[in-house]
Amino acid sequence: MGLFPLPVLWLWAFSALAQLFVLALLFLKGNFRKLPYFTFYVALNICQAGFLVFVYTHAWSNPSSRDTLAWTSECITLVIQALATTEILEITLRPYQGIWGLGWRALTVTSGTVVLLVVLAARGHWAFARWFELDRGYHLTFATALIACLLLVRYYSIPVPPAYKMLLSGFCFYSCSEIIVNTLLQAYFKKDFFLHQAAWQLLTMSCFIVTLVVWAVALWKPLPVEDRKPASPSDADYQRRSPEINEDLRRLNEKLLQLWKLEAREQ
Amino acid sequence: MNFALILLIGLALLILLLLVWVLRDPRKRARPDSGLDSSEDLGQRHVDYFPQVRQALAAEDLVFLSSRGTSQLVRRTRKERRKIALDYLSCLRDDFLRLWRLARVIASMSPKVGAGEELARLRLGLTFSLHYELIRIKFLLGFAPLPELGSLSDAVSRLSIRLETAMNNLGERAALAARLASSLDDGHGLDTP
Repeated sequence: MGLFPLPVLWLWAFSALAQLFVLALLFLKGNFRKLPYFTFYVALNICQAGFLVFVYTHAWSNPSSRDTLAWTSECITLVIQALATTEILEITLRPYQGIWGLGWRALTVTSGTVVLLVVLAARGHWAFARWFELDRGYHLTFATALIACLLLVRYYSIPVPPAYKMLLSGFCFYSCSEIIVNTLLQAYFKKDFFLHQAAWQLLTMSCFIVTLVVWAVALWKPLPVEDRKPASPSDADYQRRSPEINEDLRRLNEKLLQLWKLEAREQ
Repeated sequence: MNFALILLIGLALLILLLLVWVLRDPRKRARPDSGLDSSEDLGQRHVDYFPQVRQALAAEDLVFLSSRGTSQLVRRTRKERRKIALDYLSCLRDDFLRLWRLARVIASMSPKVGAGEELARLRLGLTFSLHYELIRIKFLLGFAPLPELGSLSDAVSRLSIRLETAMNNLGERAALAARLASSLDDGHGLDTP
């Protein structure tokens, strides 16, 4: 592990302990039954830490193989992260089928747009940078999609249990910090790879530990039992009323506009 | 640092700010009279008092006052009327926002939601807010023709009636769904007469 300075290794160990603590909470409080993907994600993170210890302590003839292995493990973890987040969102919006359907469409459009922008903007100045750019692109897509969903939840005044809110905000905070850290380091340490790598590990791991603390607080108590039920078994009301309401709102706006024009004429 | 990197950091910070805003409990910020829980929401509306307000704001009164009273009295009356008009406009906005929120509740309860309808309503809400602010500024500057408030009130009133009907229907359906669910949970099946 001579690749990283001692503070990074300490932080790594502390992060592994925090992850073990969160995993223990998931099992002790019985939350793993409600959040199987999230539990799998935390367990996978611990496995990844062990795998990275092996990868970085092993003597590689070609250093790029080490990086490829490390980043491949990161890719797998990120896919599971997306599944864990979707799982929490699905639990939150399960009683609101219509909004969940709308949310899926919003997620697809938002993610598609951001992915397109990331692909267009990705220009690696040095070979190793492509991993960081891909990582940043993923986190940007993830954070944008997540905040779009949270805004939707807020707009429709859907009640979200605080524990789920904390879990989702942990994901969002971590992704945003990854974007900021990756971008700042790319700008300031592009020449010094060793310093870049150490600083990146230090900063991202610190942010991840903050996220783990938030999750530990959220999982301290058993997650609430889902007792919300859909209020209406049919969408006929919505199908009939919604265009009418929109028409009324449109008319109201026209009246306001007329009022505005009338004032303009009178002056 | 180039423009793209600054943009990325700005975007991340914006998402963090939005996250903080989303996490804030809306109930703590909401005014006590703006909730949907209280019984007065569906029964009483500010638009119901429009005839009285229109009467109070009749232009003939000002003409009469200017012919008989002093100019100071006319000014004071006009000022007070402007204040009444502003208060009333603000109340109309409250009515609109409450109804707009009710429309969102109807959408959230529906098992199928149309993206087009929802986007259209969001756009209408934003447009209303913009128009409202513009008209309010005009009122503040003293240019507004007060009787025109009538058309605004009619539109809010009509919208209110439709939403009341929709909410009543939803309430009945919710009660029916709850009764069905409890019957099934008890293992007794459906209640039969």
